[in-house]
Amino acid sequence: MSPDPLAPDPVLSAEDVSVKFGGLSALANVSLQVPSGRIVALIGPNGAGKTTMFNVLTGLQETTTGRVRFNGADISGWPTYRRGRAGIARTFQRLALFTRLSVSDNLVASWESSHRGGVFGRGRSLRQERVHQVMELLNLWPIADRLAGELSTGQGRMVELGRALCTDPHVLLLDEPGSGLDVKETAAFCDVLRTVVRGPSAPAVLLVEHDMTLVMEVCSALTVLDFGKVIACGSPEEIRNDELVRAAYLGDVSVA
Amino acid sequence: MSAFYPFIVIGLFTGSVYGLAAMGVVLTYKTVGVFNLAYGAVAMFCAYTYWELHDHWGITAWLAMPILFLVVAPILGLILEGLYRPLAGLSAEVLIVVSLGILAALGALVPIIYGSQDRQLQAIFPTKTFVLGSHLHVGYDQMGTLVVSLSMAALLWALLRHTKFGTSTRAVVDNPDLADMIGVHGDNVRRAAWILSTFFAALVGIMISPRQGLDIYQLVLVVIYCFAPAVLGRLVSLPLAYIGGLILGIIGSILSKYSNSGTVANLEAAFPYLSLFVLLVVLGPRLKEVGTATRRLAVAAVAAPGKKKSGASATLFAIGQGRWRVGVDRNLTLGLVGFVLAILVPLAVPGPRLLIIIGGVIYALIALTLVVLTGWAGQISLAQFSFVGVGAFTAGHLAGSHGQHFLFAVLIGMLLSAPLAVVVGLASLRLSGLYLALATLAFALVMDTIVFNRTDVSGGLTGISVPRPQIFGISFTGRIALYELVVVIFGLIAVAAYALRAGPMGRRLHILRDSPLAASTLGVNLTVTKLVVFTACAMVAALGGSFYGAWTQAITPLDFMWTASLELLLLVVLGGRAVISGAIIAGSVVATQALPFIPVEVNKILALTIALGVIGLAQEPEGTARMTARQTMHVLAVMKPLPKRYRNTLGLPAPSGAVPDPPVDRRVPAPAGSGEGVSSHVA
Repeated sequence: MSPDPLAPDPVLSAEDVSVKFGGLSALANVSLQVPSGRIVALIGPNGAGKTTMFNVLTGLQETTTGRVRFNGADISGWPTYRRGRAGIARTFQRLALFTRLSVSDNLVASWESSHRGGVFGRGRSLRQERVHQVMELLNLWPIADRLAGELSTGQGRMVELGRALCTDPHVLLLDEPGSGLDVKETAAFCDVLRTVVRGPSAPAVLLVEHDMTLVMEVCSALTVLDFGKVIACGSPEEIRNDELVRAAYLGDVSVA
Repeated sequence: MSAFYPFIVIGLFTGSVYGLAAMGVVLTYKTVGVFNLAYGAVAMFCAYTYWELHDHWGITAWLAMPILFLVVAPILGLILEGLYRPLAGLSAEVLIVVSLGILAALGALVPIIYGSQDRQLQAIFPTKTFVLGSHLHVGYDQMGTLVVSLSMAALLWALLRHTKFGTSTRAVVDNPDLADMIGVHGDNVRRAAWILSTFFAALVGIMISPRQGLDIYQLVLVVIYCFAPAVLGRLVSLPLAYIGGLILGIIGSILSKYSNSGTVANLEAAFPYLSLFVLLVVLGPRLKEVGTATRRLAVAAVAAPGKKKSGASATLFAIGQGRWRVGVDRNLTLGLVGFVLAILVPLAVPGPRLLIIIGGVIYALIALTLVVLTGWAGQISLAQFSFVGVGAFTAGHLAGSHGQHFLFAVLIGMLLSAPLAVVVGLASLRLSGLYLALATLAFALVMDTIVFNRTDVSGGLTGISVPRPQIFGISFTGRIALYELVVVIFGLIAVAAYALRAGPMGRRLHILRDSPLAASTLGVNLTVTKLVVFTACAMVAALGGSFYGAWTQAITPLDFMWTASLELLLLVVLGGRAVISGAIIAGSVVATQALPFIPVEVNKILALTIALGVIGLAQEPEGTARMTARQTMHVLAVMKPLPKRYRNTLGLPAPSGAVPDPPVDRRVPAPAGSGEGVSSHVA
């Protein structure tokens, strides 16, 4: 149950966050850390409160109690857009692309939303540079001029990831990036994700995912939620051997 | 308290009709996902039909009523069902536009079928009174209305609660596709809902009309009263809607006790709309849009085989790198040519008809603000003419009776419209789609009743006069000078809008429309963006209003009523709500009155044609603008010189008659290089 003592300072953390919808407690005193430069996962059965946690972290959901810290500062009161500009980017479980813009415009719009300038001169070249870089990284060139609304789910997830990356995030929240993807697409996504977190200014990643293979493969730490409570947290090894987690979630799945 | 007693009883009578109407509106919303803004028009149409049958043809009520309720209403219901069926699952915007189209179509149809003279519908119940309690005189008609309404409400409740129809309805509401799969015949349920709803509308129509007088827009307006109770039931609860109707009736009746003086009378008249606005804003985020389950499925179904359609829009919305530069140049050229031609119009039409064309240009300017607001930013507004009115009346007062400079008056008008726009903008932060449209409608009606109705603001029905501008020593009193001035203003603002669209602001408007949530996580401040868009559009509308005033020289509150805003939206949809040329087409339609050969009769038909065109084009953001561009390209394709490659294969320049047609891809307006980007960027 102990967090990795060697983990770097958390870039984003939640402290004792509770969210109540009327009488229903969606999250109860959940704490969570995302160390910089790492990929950590938030797992749990459906309805455990994972997406609610994401909404809390991005400011889409108000908390009943608890705080959110980002690079040491208390950002609990910040509106969503301010968190976005500060460097918290997310994707959505149900795709939320700008369907009437082309793929490249999705990325450009994202860059413009999170940065100043970008119309003329140096800002514009910075913008182009970053967008090109992301398109290259995620292999989006073949679909650059397609409308985002007509993409397949797999391509859509890539565009959402690209859109998030264009904000130059410090931390990246991925909400079930593997759902709706086939085995091949999932593998491709894993590869891309590993490339994304490489490099000096790479973002930390918090991942919500049901695909245990994906999670176990890429994550350095996991937090397990069930009915809004943290029932375990630790390295993949520890989680895999945790009795509570097996009972609540993993069942008899033995992951190699 | 006893002083209020009679008012409460009388309020119950009127309220019971509101309740009935509210239930009719809620019924189709919860079963089909269609909020029928045309509900009042349906009621009006039924009332006119009954008048024709009963009062005009002299058919006895015992026969006329069965004809109305068992033949006319069901057929009308089925027609409506048929109109809406192919639209299932489309965006709220499309459904609103269609219902407004139906409203306008029925409004245009009635004068064509039944003539347009004034008429009075005979009461269906005897109007004799009896004494209730000690001294309260109650009409049998009022009592009858209450009894009919209550029994209908009870019947509907029993039907939904205790029959198979009820459970099927709930299944269909929940998830239409699943309901179909488990054997509920969704189409039949929807048909039944439409028939029932129209039946209620007919009842409302013949019960209200004897007291209100039979008038096309009066009844539509009365039914808008019932939107507030419908919203109180969050558009899904029938009992709450009915009770809300009763409460509204009672409050209205009590308010009427004090409504002798001007301001209070205005407040009383505005009460239903004020409460609608407030209810919408307060309930705001808790209001859900019905039919989202189908919505996603339908969109997926459309997107999959939509190669043709999406290809077309791909060129339209490709604002990205590289490609749009070509488009900009081409469009600017086109725009410049159009501008020069527009400047030269007075040479061709020097006479008084030029005045009507000036009106068209000003209308296009106002329409442009709606293109930006609704077509680009996706914020439906049914209140744009309220801002026009603010600009016009300010110009009238300041530049007219106070003798200020015209430009100063324009500026003040624009500044005055800004805070009002912020009110609507703030509402838009909590509302979207249908609910925003309702809120803007309520706003327009509040402006009508509270602000424009005041004689110190608008001069009452006689109105006030606005002088023609005199700017920097140049007098724009003459029609040619005024024409050139408004054309230049329109050109400047169109260019500004065009530049805005191609740049970051254009993208921002798009993402605001496609996924506001995602946009905010990327760093877009929704509050600021929406307020800026609403305010900018309102200010330009107010600018247009000042010139509208200067153009007509005499303005009355009737010029800026909610119907004007509604008409504006219809014309913009017809022209093309996502393109600047759509605004120009809207203006041209208004200016067609300048044509020398249009008699009044044709105007009636024209109104109907426009309404039907709107219903047909509701799904087409580029409206007729796109179609005309495509047609033009087809025509031009014939005159296009043959491609070089083609000549080479033939070896020698063949005589043009012998050459077979060049291979023209039918899907693309014209082959790349000549036509690409023109039609898509004629913005």
